[in-house]
Amino acid sequence: MFIVKYIKEVYSAIKSLLVGMKRTGYYFTHHKEIITEEYPDNRHTMVLPDRFKGEVVMPHNEKNEHRCTGCTACELACPNGTIKVITKFDITAEGKKKKAIDKLVYHLELCTMCNLCIIACPSDAIVMAQTFEHSVFDRSKLTKVLNNPDSKIMEGIE
Amino acid sequence: MWSFSNISSSIHHWLNESFSPTWAMIIEMVIAGVCIIGLFATLGLVLVLMERRVAAWMQIRLGPNRVGPKGLLQSAADTLKLLVKEGLTPNGADKFLFNFAPFIAMMVAMLLMAPIAFAKDFQLWDLNIGVLYISAVSSIMVISILMAGWASNNKYSLMGAMRSGAQIVSYELSAGFSILTIVVFTGSLNFNEIILSQTNGWWIFKGHLPAIISFVIFIIAVTAETNRAPFDLAEAESELTAGFHTEYSGMKFALFFLAEYINVFIVCAIGATLFLGGWMPFQIGNWQAFNHAMDYIPSSIWFFGKTFFLIFLIMWFRWTFPRLRIDQLLNLEWKYLLPISMLNLLLATALAILGWHF
Amino acid sequence: MNGSTIIFYLLASFTLVSAVLAVTTRQIFRAAIFLLFTLIGVAGLYFWMQYDFIAAVQIVVYVGGITVLIIFSIFLTQQAGDLLPKQKMSRQLFAALASFCGFALIMLQVYQHTFIGNATQALPPTVANIGNKMLGVDDDGYALPFEVVSILLLAALVGCIVIAMRSKPEENIIKQ
Repeated sequence: MFIVKYIKEVYSAIKSLLVGMKRTGYYFTHHKEIITEEYPDNRHTMVLPDRFKGEVVMPHNEKNEHRCTGCTACELACPNGTIKVITKFDITAEGKKKKAIDKLVYHLELCTMCNLCIIACPSDAIVMAQTFEHSVFDRSKLTKVLNNPDSKIMEGIE
Repeated sequence: MWSFSNISSSIHHWLNESFSPTWAMIIEMVIAGVCIIGLFATLGLVLVLMERRVAAWMQIRLGPNRVGPKGLLQSAADTLKLLVKEGLTPNGADKFLFNFAPFIAMMVAMLLMAPIAFAKDFQLWDLNIGVLYISAVSSIMVISILMAGWASNNKYSLMGAMRSGAQIVSYELSAGFSILTIVVFTGSLNFNEIILSQTNGWWIFKGHLPAIISFVIFIIAVTAETNRAPFDLAEAESELTAGFHTEYSGMKFALFFLAEYINVFIVCAIGATLFLGGWMPFQIGNWQAFNHAMDYIPSSIWFFGKTFFLIFLIMWFRWTFPRLRIDQLLNLEWKYLLPISMLNLLLATALAILGWHF
Repeated sequence: MNGSTIIFYLLASFTLVSAVLAVTTRQIFRAAIFLLFTLIGVAGLYFWMQYDFIAAVQIVVYVGGITVLIIFSIFLTQQAGDLLPKQKMSRQLFAALASFCGFALIMLQVYQHTFIGNATQALPPTVANIGNKMLGVDDDGYALPFEVVSILLLAALVGCIVIAMRSKPEENIIKQ
């Protein structure tokens, strides 16, 4: 019947209206639910979710050692040429030549935080950090060298 | 006791004693004009801030909280910004109409203030046909929007103006019908008589179901008439940048912005007068002690309290629902609101003839 | 000359000036807006005479209804920023002559007609009085003309629906 359908429509319209207004009314009266982060004020207490990706860093241990073998897997994985691995040959104690990184250059201004390099890395040498205040006055400051000066590869990483 | 009507009558007496009647009249007009402009400015500041805070809280946000204590000076800062902004007139625009349209919006808003009773015996113009006057003058409102839309010589503006024209012209009908329900109950178009008829109870309680239905329809229709979400198709930021006021900036934009809030205030004042008893205090039957306590609250506070309650209701409405499409909007009016309000008017007339309301 | 007369002349000149502007402007939208001002001026004259109801109805019908309709048809057919073509001199002259003739006819009628004074007191133009007169069935009621006008309106409504109703495409094919 047309009339029944019409009345049903009006009824469901009013019902959905009330449901919606109940929800917003709940939020209006419950200020504890507010999710706004007052950023510059709470920068010391702010908690970022785990999956937030700020920039690529290379962790070093206390002996200034990192885990990067210089395999260039990250460089190959990067879709927009953000990472450039510059390798050198170290002379080991036995007098053999061994491939190692000289510099791992990271262009933050090109990076889209896509996480592909982290996935590609076979030795988990690089990770995503949670820093996000990246603005600087000079673009050249965004080109970073990830390995510390005079750092070495960790023992036992091939 | 301190009240608006005492103040106004003492000013009236003093002026008539000190000046000739003509001059007293002119001075009274000037005072009334200044008061209205002052009211507009305060309303603009208060309502914009209220809207932003209410919107923020309903959307689990904080809202403006930086300028001044708790963000109370935010709208003052906005006004200052709009004052110093350059008011551009686009090159291909019809300059005269483009600059004139915002003033029409403000003039109509001012004219609409005339018959509203702000407190007991405090009214600018006790018009015999108050309700009809309001619905007549508010129909000029659409002209300013159409004018702004055409004169901007911009397709977005034109689309916005056409949408708002269609919208206002259609929703005027159901707004009119819901007002008529109360007119049928009272048998008068005069605002004062309508308020006095609610001495023993407001129409929304006295009028049973028809009054409640017409109240709901009234709120929906006036939300559409004032071009506010979910019926803000005339501006529709995501589709038409800003609709009819796309090309406006600075003070001319501010006038449109102000006119929107003034109109919200006016329609809520009318709604409060018709359905919630205007400045009439809330009274329950024969409960004398309670009624006396209610009588002690000044009538102006009752009026503004009810009006702001309705404004809050409209804001609640606005920040809950997404925007309608133009066909949904017209469907809602012509297929649902109009038939329902016609039937409702019949029902109300039957009730009024049989005398079944209290 | 008191304040009331000054207000009358202000309103009258406002009405006349916007009427002249409405017919002389070459932008069609401006013509519509000046027509609107003319109608508002007439409504103002009614307010000045304290015929509040007539004034409000004038605004509802002419300003809220007819002018909005005219503006809508302008929106749908015209381009913003275009000027209308200049009218020929002969046409302008003829139009001026025609309007003058109409004016003269009306004024002649007004001056020659002897208005019969009525002994009874004029009714105050309140809504209740107007309503009682309009639907009154006794000697001085206007129920019959009122109903005739309503039938005219009903016919117009039915006509609108007939025009607006589109027949379904299948039916057209069958007819052909």
